[in-house]
Amino acid sequence: MKEIIRITIGLTLSCFLAAMIMGAVFVVTDKTKKQNEYNKTQATMLGLLGYGKENPATEELKFYPVYRYIVEEDGETYLGYMVPVKASDYEAYEFLILDLEGRLVQRFTLDISLEKAIDDSDRQKILKETLKPETAFAYQDQTIVACLRDKRVAYLLPGEFTGFKTFIEVMLALDPRFDIIGLEIVEHEEDPGLGAEIEQDYFKNQFKDKSFERLKNLTVVKEPLPDVFRRYLEDPDTLSAKELEDIRNQYLDKDIYSLTGATISSRAVTNGVKNMVKRFAYRIKILDEVIAGHQIPAVI
Amino acid sequence: MRSMIQRYAFRSIWLMPVFLLFLMGCNVEHPFVKKVAFKDSLSISIEFAGEPDADWATDPDNYRIYEKRDPDVLLVISEVILGPDKRSVLIKFDEEINQAEPHVIALTPIHSQGKDLGTALLNVKRLYIGELFAILIGAMLINNYVFTKYLGLCVFFGTSKKRDTAVGMGITFTIVMVASAMMSWFLYQFVLKPFELDFLQVVVFIGMVSLSVQAVDTVLRKVNPALFKAFGVYLVLVIANCIILAVPLTLADNEYSAMESLMLALGAGTGFLLALFLMSSAGERLELADIPPTYRGLPIAFVTAGLFALAFMGFSGLVIF
Amino acid sequence: MAATKKSNKELVINGIFLENPIFRLALSMCPAVGLTTSIKNGLLLGSAVLFVQICSSCTIAAIKNIIHPRIRIPTYTLTIATWVTVIDLVLAAYVPAAYEEMGIFVKLIVAFAIITMRLETFACKNTISASFWDGLGMGIGFMFGMVSIGFVRELLGAGTILGYDILGFKPLLFFVLPAAGFFCVGIMMALFNYIEGVYNRLKERKQ
Repeated sequence: MKEIIRITIGLTLSCFLAAMIMGAVFVVTDKTKKQNEYNKTQATMLGLLGYGKENPATEELKFYPVYRYIVEEDGETYLGYMVPVKASDYEAYEFLILDLEGRLVQRFTLDISLEKAIDDSDRQKILKETLKPETAFAYQDQTIVACLRDKRVAYLLPGEFTGFKTFIEVMLALDPRFDIIGLEIVEHEEDPGLGAEIEQDYFKNQFKDKSFERLKNLTVVKEPLPDVFRRYLEDPDTLSAKELEDIRNQYLDKDIYSLTGATISSRAVTNGVKNMVKRFAYRIKILDEVIAGHQIPAVI
Repeated sequence: MRSMIQRYAFRSIWLMPVFLLFLMGCNVEHPFVKKVAFKDSLSISIEFAGEPDADWATDPDNYRIYEKRDPDVLLVISEVILGPDKRSVLIKFDEEINQAEPHVIALTPIHSQGKDLGTALLNVKRLYIGELFAILIGAMLINNYVFTKYLGLCVFFGTSKKRDTAVGMGITFTIVMVASAMMSWFLYQFVLKPFELDFLQVVVFIGMVSLSVQAVDTVLRKVNPALFKAFGVYLVLVIANCIILAVPLTLADNEYSAMESLMLALGAGTGFLLALFLMSSAGERLELADIPPTYRGLPIAFVTAGLFALAFMGFSGLVIF
Repeated sequence: MAATKKSNKELVINGIFLENPIFRLALSMCPAVGLTTSIKNGLLLGSAVLFVQICSSCTIAAIKNIIHPRIRIPTYTLTIATWVTVIDLVLAAYVPAAYEEMGIFVKLIVAFAIITMRLETFACKNTISASFWDGLGMGIGFMFGMVSIGFVRELLGAGTILGYDILGFKPLLFFVLPAAGFFCVGIMMALFNYIEGVYNRLKERKQ
């Protein structure tokens, strides 16, 4: 009997010790992890807009995230947008609750800075404090509005959709007219050599410059990628300005050329991007009408 | 031994229809609507209990359809056709609907024979049993843990020499797999997630595995000593199997529900059993073949496994439901 | 098995050649098949395993006198699991891109038979320093195995080495696919057997 007690105590103590060690390492590394993720997202966003080491972004380029929530109150469903606004001389957030027809139902001021709002748990805390206790809310997605000198230059949409294997996470850049500036594949679990080729330039750059109208019925064609188009997508520096212009115009209205042996992945990305843009365009129009109609001091 | 398993298997087959009916569930929440389902990628069909007014039924404005997660984006209906029996309608769309997502149909007050039967909110989604089945087949064939995900290889090559050992190992493994997966799911949902102790996943899951092995060991010893004599030795080997840890990690990552976790564990276990069975059948024939000395033993086993893996690649891309 | 009489250098060489975990002991083959699509992956996982192996060996060697014999296995498992979680968190924080590629395999190190086996057969009977060198040998042997398979698969499958384009084209895309992992490991094992056979014959001839 004494032995069993000794064994149990020994095991329990060791478990605690192990948990302490792991907990300590977790606390130390968690901050670095979050910082890394943030840096990676920033780099992706700047890359999509054409900035980089040779062309660094200036102070005048600002990113304003808009967060979308689904709100449920008294059995009714509403949409909630956290919009950055100007309040005296600092930037804060306002939470706008819209009904499904796009009419403003309620608005709240949220005392949270732009930096703090990036963290999901901080947002949740302040929403819980501000909204009525019976109101249920769930985070859906976010859009980052890029403004240069107070004018909108681009929308950056992080999104996730089902791919061939599991999920594909992307970052899409749209210009103010919803034409595609660029597409970046952030994360995926597709097969190497087959579906994983979606992250290669010759696939994702096909989405560049596609207009909003063209995107609405964009499909995937199972044809081989023409060599000249491939050069344009992968090594544009090897072509003259005139050649670039010609090739661009020639392929601007074509559908997406599918990847060899990865039709499902290609279709998943195309349909995913299509859905993202269509829904976003629909929603931002409604949001803009509300902001204009109620004179909300939004920074975007 | 095999006949005992066969007897149990046959007996449990009768439970399947009951089980299925239970899981079918109902997608409908209004007495007048009998059934609603996806017809194909461009249409949804609704079956009513009686005859709705023809002009009400064929007016697209009476139907508001949206994906459950995007209630503000209404899908555009191209037309609504009344069926020949006057009790069913087919709602057609211009664009393909994503059948993987649950959809909601909000009906304005139903008009039937002059009476107003009130509004209805209908849920349309693929049969849950279909999704569960897809996970099962996925884990068993399409993403076979041995041939497609190359896990559990050490134990695999160790016990795939003879068919009987292989089958024994496979069955033992499936039992422990299901037990530990369910316990891990339980712990993950109710202890790890709420207290944000995600980093303890590895320790907790491997602990669950050890516990399951211990539990199955004790239970088997008491309940069926004969079975224990046959399987007991494999129980210890189960712990050194990568698959036994990979399944709880997967179901935690993908946030599966209890039924889905059960399906995943079952699929992984039976997939492993299938792989072992195939390998051992080939292994028995290999013993009689003339293999060069440097290849004897493990090297040729690996090459054989490689051939099987190539064959299993044929399953990739298979989409059920 | 009694405490070893080998010198530290011999322990390390033992781990790399005579008792190479992948090719001779045939343990922990899962990553050898699954993660050797590029040398970089092999190196990274190899270093992770090296870390866990050394730390676990040293820990167990340090507390071997306090462990109650009946809870040996759970103690080993707990130690390995702790160190695996530590390296998992560290890798996720400091090399996120590489960590993504390795996916689930870092967490699975816990189930690698090689580490438990080594603790059982070596660390619980030897001093800390001997365990350290043995662990080092095993870890390097594992890394060596992973890198050699990775070298073949990456060169033949993608034409690159560590990401640098060597061949300029992709000879046989097949090698990057999972099935080829099996083939490569099998063939390399046969190669090792052959080399060992030649080495033994030479030794006999010398005597």
